[in-house]
Amino acid sequence: MDVSQYLEIFIDETNGHLQNLSDCIMSLEKDPENMDTINEIFRAAHSLKGMAGTMGFKRMQRLTHDMENVFQEVRSGNMNVTSGLVDVLFQCLDAIDTYLENVKESSEEGTDDNEAIIQELNDILAAGTGNAPKKEIKTVEKEESPKESSDQNRFQKKYLDIEFSEKEKEELRKSEEKGMKLYGLTVYIQEDCLLKAARSFLVFKAVEDYGNIIVYNPSSQDIEDEKFGFDFSFYLASDAELDKIIEVSKAVSEIEEIVGEKVNYRELTDAAAKKEEEEAAAAKEAEKKQEEVPSVPAQAAPAAAQAKQTQAQTAKKQNSGKPVTNRTVRVDIEKLDALMNQVSELIIAKNSLVSIGSTADGGMGGANSQAFHEQIEYLERITTGLHESVMKVRMVPIESVVQKFPRMIRDLSKKLDKKMELYMTGEDTELDRTVVDQIGDPLQHLLRNSADHGLENAELRRKRGKPETGSIHLNAFQEGNNVIIEVSDDGNGIDTESVKGKAIERGLITPEQGAALSQKEIIDFLFMPSFSMAKQISDVSGRGVGLDVVKSNIEALGGDVEVKSVLGEGSKFTVRLPLTLAIIQALMVEVRQEKYAISLGSIETIEEIMADEIKYVQAKEVIHIRGMVIPLIRLDQLLDCEPADEERESLTVIIVRKGDKYAGLIVDELNGQQEIVIKSLGKYINNSTKIISGATVLGDGEVALILDVNTLF
Amino acid sequence: MANNISVVEDGKKQFIVVKIGSEQYGIDISYVDNIVRMQKITRVPKAQPYFKGIINLRGEIVPVMSIRTKMDLEPDVFTDVTRIIILKLEEHGVLGILVDEVKEVVTLSPDEIDKVAYDAKNSKSNFINGVGKHGEELISLFDTNSIIDEPENV
Repeated sequence: MDVSQYLEIFIDETNGHLQNLSDCIMSLEKDPENMDTINEIFRAAHSLKGMAGTMGFKRMQRLTHDMENVFQEVRSGNMNVTSGLVDVLFQCLDAIDTYLENVKESSEEGTDDNEAIIQELNDILAAGTGNAPKKEIKTVEKEESPKESSDQNRFQKKYLDIEFSEKEKEELRKSEEKGMKLYGLTVYIQEDCLLKAARSFLVFKAVEDYGNIIVYNPSSQDIEDEKFGFDFSFYLASDAELDKIIEVSKAVSEIEEIVGEKVNYRELTDAAAKKEEEEAAAAKEAEKKQEEVPSVPAQAAPAAAQAKQTQAQTAKKQNSGKPVTNRTVRVDIEKLDALMNQVSELIIAKNSLVSIGSTADGGMGGANSQAFHEQIEYLERITTGLHESVMKVRMVPIESVVQKFPRMIRDLSKKLDKKMELYMTGEDTELDRTVVDQIGDPLQHLLRNSADHGLENAELRRKRGKPETGSIHLNAFQEGNNVIIEVSDDGNGIDTESVKGKAIERGLITPEQGAALSQKEIIDFLFMPSFSMAKQISDVSGRGVGLDVVKSNIEALGGDVEVKSVLGEGSKFTVRLPLTLAIIQALMVEVRQEKYAISLGSIETIEEIMADEIKYVQAKEVIHIRGMVIPLIRLDQLLDCEPADEERESLTVIIVRKGDKYAGLIVDELNGQQEIVIKSLGKYINNSTKIISGATVLGDGEVALILDVNTLF
Repeated sequence: MANNISVVEDGKKQFIVVKIGSEQYGIDISYVDNIVRMQKITRVPKAQPYFKGIINLRGEIVPVMSIRTKMDLEPDVFTDVTRIIILKLEEHGVLGILVDEVKEVVTLSPDEIDKVAYDAKNSKSNFINGVGKHGEELISLFDTNSIIDEPENV
C-alpha cells in the first residue's frame, strides 16, 4: 500500500514524540517515581510503535515495542527507573532518530537492526522483573514470548465494558422479546490497516444483512470519523447463528480477530450495573483514546489502578486541549515565502504611489490631492499591517531548537565526566522561521564549547571555591529589532595569554604584535578557521571547526557574535540576530548622489557637526560628543566615491551602534525614513567586504544599496 | 538547456548577433531572457571592476557586467543603441551584459560553426567557443559559462 503521502506527517509526528520522550526521560531521571511521566512515556512509545507499524518500518516498530515493554513493567511497578535504564533509553531514542533520518532521506528506515540496544533493553527488562538475564536465548525468541502473551490478552471481550443508555436498554429488551438473539461482538482490525473506518463500515454492512445493530462502541459517528483504536464493539440483534455472523465479518479484509458470544438482556444489564463503578473509568478511557493498551484495564494491581487514574486525567487534559490544536494549519514554508514576496512587491508599489503623490501635487486640484493623500496613508497602514501579519506568521519560538539542548548537556556531562547543569530562559522568544532553522548548529557549538573548554573539572572548581556543578546559561530575549541569545558559563573563561601564545606559535602574529593586541583582538583569534585551543582532540570539540563555523553561520543570517570573558570566572557569548530578514525600516542617505539605506535598528542618533569639531586620535578622525569619543567614517571614501570638490563647513553624522561600540558615518544628505524590501545582489557580484548587504528598489524605480553598518566595526 | 524555439531542425542554433567594438559576437538565444535599453546603473562599491553595477528590471535586482572591461577592451561608450542583454543561466540567476549594438538574429547549422581551440595565452579567446560563418561575415560565439566565470577561476 502506498503510504508515501503520509510520510511527511509521520516524520513530523515522530519528531514530536521523540522530543516528548526525551523531555520525559530527562524529568524521569530526576523524579523516577512520577507516574504521570511514566505514563506519558508509555503513551509516546506506543504511538511511535503504532505509527512505525502503519508505515511499515518494522525495525523501528520492534525497537519501540521493546521500549514499550520496559515501560509496561515500570508502569505496573515491577521495575525501578535506574540511571542505566535511562542511558539505554536515550540510546533507543538516538537509534529511532537515526531511523527517522534515514526515512527523511530515502523513505526507508535503513538496515540497522540495533540488536545491541534491543538486547540491552531486554536484559534490563529481565533483570528488573527478577528473572536472571538469559543471554544464551536469542533476542528474537525473547521478543516473541512477550508478544504471544500479549496476543492472548489482546482480544478481550470489550463489548462487556459497554455502558448502555436507557434507550439502548429498551431496544435490547424489545429485540429479545421479539425472539431475536442478542450477540455481543468485538472486532479487532489489523494494526497496519489504513482505512479503519471503511473496514468497520464493511463489517457493519455484512452483519446488518442478518440483523440490527443496537449498540455501537465507539459511537457510529466516531467510527465513521476514524476516532477509534484498532477495535470496536457492538451489539447485534439477529435471528442468525453467531458463527455465521463472525464468518461474514471475518470475510472483510484486514480484520484480525472477532470475539463474540450470545448474551441475554438480563445478564447484560445486571453485569453492567455491578461493574458500573469500576468499569466506568476504563470504558470512558477506551472511548477516549486509542493510545491506551487493551491489556491494562484487566490488571487489578493497585499500581495499575493508579495508572488508570492518572491516564484518565491526562486523557481528559488531551480532550480539553483538542480544539486548540485544531485551530492551527500546517503551511509549507514556500507558500509563506511566496506570500512574503508579494507583500514585498505591494510595498514597493505603495512606495512608488507615495513618491508620485509627493510630486504630482501641482497637477491635481487641492481637494483631489487631499483625498489622494488620505488614501495613500490608508494604503500605507494596510500594507504595514499586512507585512506585520505575514512576518508574525513566519515567526516561531526558538523552543523547537533549544529543547534538545538539556539532553545534549546531560550526555556531555557523562562523557566529559563533569557535573553541569543547563539553565534556559526565553525559549518562547520568536524568530523568523528561516533563522530558527539555522541557529541550532551554532548554538550547539557554543554550548559544547562551554561544556568542554569553559567548565573546569570538579577538583579545580572546588579549589577555586565554585560549586562543583558547573552551570551553563542560555538566555534568549528580544532587544529592539534584534533577538539576543546569550550562552554563558561560570567556568574558566578565556585565557588570553595562552591564546596569544598559540597564535604566535602558529605564526599568525609575531611576539611584538602580540604585545600590542587588545583582549578583544586576541579573543578574535578563536573565531579563525582551524584554531583550536583544546589540548587534545576529543569527541566533543578540539578539531578547530567550531567557533569559526559559529561566526560564519551567524553572519550569514545577518547577525553577529561577541564574547566577553573574565579569566577564572567564566565567559559569555552573545549572539545577535535580526528579527526579520526581508523588510526593514531604513534611513535613506545620499553620498555623492548615490543613494544608500541604513537600517534604523543600528542608528543611535543623527548629529550636525562643524568641520572643525573633528579631532584626531592616532591619526584617525574622531568626534567628541556627549562625553563619548566616536570614530568617524567618511562614507564617500569608504565607498570609493569621487572625491568632493570642496570640504563642507557642516557635516551630517549618523551615529551607529553595534553592541557597546559606536561609529559616526559622514553622509551628504538625509532622505528620510522608509520601509524597504531587502533584495539580494545575486551570486555574481563579489561582495567580499560585505559592506553592501543587499539592494532595494525605491518608489521611483531607482535602486539603492543597503549598507550593513555591522561590518564597519 | 534546450529551448524549443532555438533548436531548429538538424541541430541548427539561433544566435543574437551583437556588436562590441569592431567585432561581431553571437549569443546563444536560449540563454537570452530579454534585451533592454540602457538605463541607470547603480554602482556597487567594492565589486569586481567589470561589474558596472545593478539595475532594476521590473522589481528584480539584476547585476550588469561590462564585457569590454572583462575582455580588456576600451571602456564602454554609451550611445542610443547601447543595450543590456539579460541572460538567464540556470542556477546562477539572471545577469545583464552591456553591448554596443544589437544587430540581428541568425540561424547557424553545425557545419557553419568552427570550433576554436582553447588558447591560454589569449585571454580574449577564452570567452569564445566557436566562430560562426554567416554569409561573408564572421561571428565570434560567446561561451556563456566563461562569461560568468571569475578570472581567477578560468
